[in-house]
Amino acid sequence: MRSYTPPALQIMRTVLIADDESSMRLLVHATIESDEYAVVEASDGAEAWALIQKHRPSLVLLDVQMPGRTGLEVLRSVKADPELAATRVILLTSKAQEGDIEEGLIAGADFYLTKPFSPLDLLTRVEEALQL
Amino acid sequence: MTAPHLREGEIRVMPDRRGWSLRHYIALFVAVLFAVAAVAGLAVRTAAEQDAREAAEADASFAARVAATQINGDLLLLEETTAKLAANPQVAVILAAPVGPCSLTFGAGPFSTGHLDIVSPDGSVKCSSQPTSKGAVYGSAGWLPRGLREPIMVAPFLDPVTGLVSAVIAAPVDRGAGTVVAIVALGPLGPSLAATLGGARGLEFLVTTADSDMVLARSLEPDRWVGANLSNTAFISYASSTERPDVAGTTRIYGRSVVASSDWVVFAGADKAAALTAADMSANRGLAIILAGMAVMLVVVFVVYRRIAEPVRRLSMVMRSSTHSGAANAVAGTGASEVTALAEDFDQLMETVNHELAERLKSEQAAHLSERNYRMLFEGHPQPMWLYDVNTLAFLSVNDAAVDRYGYSRKEFLAMTIKDIRPPQDVPKFLELVYEPMPAFDRTGPWRHLLKDGSTVQVLVTSHAVTFGEHEARFVLAEDLTENQRLELELHQSQARAESNAELSRAKDEMVSMVSHELRTPLASIVGFAELLVTREVTPEQRKEYLAVMLQEGRRLTSLINDFLDLRRIEGGHPTLSFAPTDAGALIKRAVDLTSDGSSSKVETRIPDDLPLVQVDSDSIFRVITNMLSNARKYSPDGGPIVVGASVVDGMVEVFVKDEGLGIPSEALAQLFRRFYRIDTPDRRKIKGTGLGLAISKNIVEANGGKIGARSEGPGKGARFHFTVPLARERSQTGDVLVVEDDSGFAHLLEAELAARSLSSIWASDAETAEHLMSKNTARAVVLYLLLPGFSGEAFLQRLRATHGIGIPVVVVTMKDLDPGAILSLQKAGVTAVLRKGPGIAETAANMVAKSLVSELVAS
Repeated sequence: MRSYTPPALQIMRTVLIADDESSMRLLVHATIESDEYAVVEASDGAEAWALIQKHRPSLVLLDVQMPGRTGLEVLRSVKADPELAATRVILLTSKAQEGDIEEGLIAGADFYLTKPFSPLDLLTRVEEALQL
Repeated sequence: MTAPHLREGEIRVMPDRRGWSLRHYIALFVAVLFAVAAVAGLAVRTAAEQDAREAAEADASFAARVAATQINGDLLLLEETTAKLAANPQVAVILAAPVGPCSLTFGAGPFSTGHLDIVSPDGSVKCSSQPTSKGAVYGSAGWLPRGLREPIMVAPFLDPVTGLVSAVIAAPVDRGAGTVVAIVALGPLGPSLAATLGGARGLEFLVTTADSDMVLARSLEPDRWVGANLSNTAFISYASSTERPDVAGTTRIYGRSVVASSDWVVFAGADKAAALTAADMSANRGLAIILAGMAVMLVVVFVVYRRIAEPVRRLSMVMRSSTHSGAANAVAGTGASEVTALAEDFDQLMETVNHELAERLKSEQAAHLSERNYRMLFEGHPQPMWLYDVNTLAFLSVNDAAVDRYGYSRKEFLAMTIKDIRPPQDVPKFLELVYEPMPAFDRTGPWRHLLKDGSTVQVLVTSHAVTFGEHEARFVLAEDLTENQRLELELHQSQARAESNAELSRAKDEMVSMVSHELRTPLASIVGFAELLVTREVTPEQRKEYLAVMLQEGRRLTSLINDFLDLRRIEGGHPTLSFAPTDAGALIKRAVDLTSDGSSSKVETRIPDDLPLVQVDSDSIFRVITNMLSNARKYSPDGGPIVVGASVVDGMVEVFVKDEGLGIPSEALAQLFRRFYRIDTPDRRKIKGTGLGLAISKNIVEANGGKIGARSEGPGKGARFHFTVPLARERSQTGDVLVVEDDSGFAHLLEAELAARSLSSIWASDAETAEHLMSKNTARAVVLYLLLPGFSGEAFLQRLRATHGIGIPVVVVTMKDLDPGAILSLQKAGVTAVLRKGPGIAETAANMVAKSLVSELVAS
């Protein structure tokens, strides 16, 4: 049998959370939980990239320091793909180093939050990005 | 090799014997060989052509059948796909709503390019797997009305979205609400069939409509032919024959088959010319093999003739002629080949043997010479050198320069130990250092050495470990320091200090940045969840979940900070380590008890009964063992067995912890002991850790004079962690009073008090070690602290009385007041006194011990 992807139909917008720390994923998920969009989680860079291609999320919340592919690498892959380039990206960083944030914004991230961040702040940014 | 008398003329006159000669037989054989080869060649050529034609026909028919089956399967798959999607309730939702958000993915699979559309009755696209086709309208397509009523399969269709000739597979959505359409391009079908089924022959594939009017797919030039009309081509005019020209005129041998579900006709055609060329080639190969066979046979015949027939004839001639003439040189000339070779070989052998003997003699002389040279190097070296025994510290050998410089005679030297050449005020420091583990090669100083005339010199000492006869020894070179050298050395040392300070501060910076990063993640969880709890209404379950995460992350922060502080303390160079003889086996057993958590991992201990005591700081080494054990448990998630043990390896005690858990990738082995290094593989993500445990362990082991390491065969194959620690020296295991006390501070205080009363002491930090030390039979009194780790003080006391009787006075020290019953039982066990810890108690205890020893002496 030759390769064939069965059709997948989806009518809800998706938000992807990519962070290697399960507690952070739980926090972000609990913060942004909503009926307006579906939320999927990835625990490393490679999984994040695979899920982005599969779900074509409207928004990605991306931890910068992840094993495998770093958040910045994933961000660059997203922006390099013409079909995905419109994806909104918010970076979450635990590094207080300016360099990373600057690099992320140049690579096309819409916004960044430094850990520890305020969940309410994050929610505002997510709603802004999704224009809810 | 031709002797002058072996000329052709002479051979001819030799009388012939009866029967055919070998030459005749060979000639006949060659002639038969040629005849057979010619017949075989002819047969091969005719057969090959016939075979090639039949094979091409069979291949083409088979390929056509397989292609038809495959296309049939692919079309059915697409029918099933559209039917399934049409039945999906979400499709009805999309068709009912105004254009809403939707995404559809479709891997066209069998036909490699295509798209899937959800089409409303007016032909507009509501949702598509191909974003550009969203606005497209199929309103004018002929198949649309039928596609709204029933499942259809239409081809060819010029797709307005892609502009490609395509097939349309549609399934209607409930009650004429719309239709789900898969539109797949036909262009790639031909090349794809050729790629998978074309085989070595490079078959041409042609798919036509049922009436053979239109080309649906072609493997060659698909762009030109897909969708083209066939009626005027040569292909149609020769329709009855298997051998016919294709659409472009090339003659091919065709096979034909029909696709069951669609009545499409599939042709597979093999190039006739190529097939016959292949037949030619195969015939030529056959001929080549025959020719090669013949060539080999001819060579064999030739070789047989030259190597057997000729020499036999020649030999017989020589023998005959020498019989006639009696000329000895003739025989020698012919028979000589082997004989001369043998003689030559023999000569060569003799020559080799002689040469070998000469070489060996030379190297023996050289060895003798170099030994003398080396001895001269030692004896005649202008700087003082000596060898001393590491255990007794006695001089084993000294050179002339040492005798000259230090003023002691060689005999005096050999009666002394290296302690005796230190000025008395340096002896304590010397004793403290000399029993510490030393590196194999060492350069230290400046030291003060005492000369025979009572003066001292400052020297730099270079030494390295050697084995001298039976002795474990060190070889020492002592260099006098001139004033200039001393200044230079001081300068050098201060520079090194400055450099190491800079290094330290760099490391500190890196550490601070790393730590702040490590602390942020748990902090983010705690702060974040706290804010959620404060600002949001949450269900009781959520509250519990959030609080659990906060607790877990808070604990993680705590252990990070603890580990971090420990690391700083150890790395800061002020470790409060107290070295004492210790029973490593007891430490291991205690660590196993402490870390056992009722999990399924079975821990086996392998400790030999005669394991010697080690010289370590027991608290810190205990920590290393527990760290290794808890790692072994953590990284054996399936509860595999763990083995922990110790043995003597190269004069050190090696402690190891072995598991059969997740193992370590080879590239990670070198990094394991770095701070914050954690191996990152999916199976480890759930295992918590600070990444500091092994870094701390490494520091501790090195501060104890040992080495740490890890081995693993690779992921999934378990790991083995080990470290070494030095053996306790004999000297540190003997003394007048045994102090059994786990608090090193009190033990040192007591040692000082005892020393002031001219009593030497040995210190054991637990009862197991104390028992070992008692077995040396040097201690005459014991100071015992009751609350010991592991084995209790009371138990030790009972065993002491059992092994050594009541002759040994015991002073007991406690932390709190004992109840009268306990005091009574201690007194029954013959305890001299029970003292409660407090200021001045060390002095009191020392007095008690001294007094009891004196009374002991008096009594005996």
